[in-house]
Amino acid sequence: MSTLVSLDITDGIARVCMRRPEARNALSRDLITQLRSTIEALRSRADVRVVILEGDGKSFCAGMDLKAVATDPVAMGDMLRALAETSLAIRKLPMPTIAKVQGAAIGGGCGLMVVCDFGVTHPEAKVGYPEVDLGICPAVVAPWLVKKIGAGPARAMLLLGGTMSGAEGYAKGIASHCVPLDQLESATMALATGLAKGGPLAIRETKRWLSVLDGSNDDAAIREAAEISAKIIQGGEAQERLAKMWGS
Amino acid sequence: MFNAGMDRLITHEVLDDGALHRITFCDDARRNALSRAMFDELDAALAAASSTIAGRQAASCVLLAATGRAFCSGFDLGACVADPTMMGTFLQRLSTAVRMLRSMPCPVVAAVQGPALAGGCALVTACDVVIAGPAARFAYPVHRIGLSPAISLPTLRGHTGGGARTVALAPEPLDAVAARALGLVHELVDDPAALDARSLAVSRHLLAKGPQALASIKRWMNAHDGSCDLAALDATLAASVATGLSDESSAMLAATWASMQKPR
Repeated sequence: MSTLVSLDITDGIARVCMRRPEARNALSRDLITQLRSTIEALRSRADVRVVILEGDGKSFCAGMDLKAVATDPVAMGDMLRALAETSLAIRKLPMPTIAKVQGAAIGGGCGLMVVCDFGVTHPEAKVGYPEVDLGICPAVVAPWLVKKIGAGPARAMLLLGGTMSGAEGYAKGIASHCVPLDQLESATMALATGLAKGGPLAIRETKRWLSVLDGSNDDAAIREAAEISAKIIQGGEAQERLAKMWGS
Repeated sequence: MFNAGMDRLITHEVLDDGALHRITFCDDARRNALSRAMFDELDAALAAASSTIAGRQAASCVLLAATGRAFCSGFDLGACVADPTMMGTFLQRLSTAVRMLRSMPCPVVAAVQGPALAGGCALVTACDVVIAGPAARFAYPVHRIGLSPAISLPTLRGHTGGGARTVALAPEPLDAVAARALGLVHELVDDPAALDARSLAVSRHLLAKGPQALASIKRWMNAHDGSCDLAALDATLAASVATGLSDESSAMLAATWASMQKPR
């Protein structure tokens, strides 16, 4: 298996980078698997103060790579379950997490941004949850959105589908920071460096309580949501719309 | 004035025939830091307001304000350095003040004219309506001294929901615009000179409402958003105390204090 996810740890800052730039880092089965194992290995690293999740190339992540398994609806369901487990792994990292989002963060890609503690993006980025446009149910990523922006705004966003600009995503609260594209790296590093200066025990305790209070540790609810998405994507409506999109 | 006298750190004015209690931090020399004396005066003012308001039939309102450069700069760190047990004491007293504000049987308005940091930010989260001037800042810069702001999370979450992750973890302060976007500020007053008048106007606007209805909806919101969940308040207080009394915190506090004493 080629290396689809790289890891660099320097001065307590871990950079987890998705590396399928030719596919805008679309989440293939292999990429999701490697992302999950990379993240899980960081969980016990006491020397890591901050984790940055990023994507190589012009985009952070274009979403699920469903076309690669176009003829296999069961595989699509399994990929959504794997995305749920990866999201849980990210949320359970004891140190703060930052998504550095350039270009696109769509569907599952937007889910990866929102599950992180911070999302740093730029005004022209393209973010959002267009799942329903394709007959797909975004339940798998919905719990993290609800926790981030509240049930009312999440309801409208998930039902309306489509995408929005990074500036609009920031205004709606799905990104925590919005800076010019040429400052994305420096702003992300300034945030990471600032976080790394905090007392590691104190900051982990704060994060632990944030997750206790917002129900982030309810694995069963996350997995149940993933099952709903898996069921819907295997149905006729989603398969017809996906086939039409791919012209097959 | 309830507490007229020299060298007060807080003024407590009773306005509008007893309807409006304005409690103002006025220790600009120490940026309205929460010292033992400041907590004593805050406790006394909140207790006096609470007991007189509880005995009233007519509408009441509490307005928490400040004069000087800061709204409140958080704990008196010098006292924490001098006495290693003081951090725990201050956290306990902060929790008491937060609970008194939340259980006040009338709306509590905050007028934030400058930085509200750490314990100062925690007090703001305990208020019901937050009005901010352009120089207001909100932050918990306490991870730098090895302290977790867990104590503030139930009330912070009540205002910001998921935005609490950004506010509680962010290493840099949020400005008033960002705090408004996250729900911690409800009204932004562009002209700093207009903040006083506007916060009084909002308080008086509340005095025109039905007092039982106000007290009742406040109680319901307290129960609904978890900000008065005693188990959560106790557990998050304990979490902050545990970090505040840790070796990590003593070392980081000593280093931070030393760097603050260097001439600038």
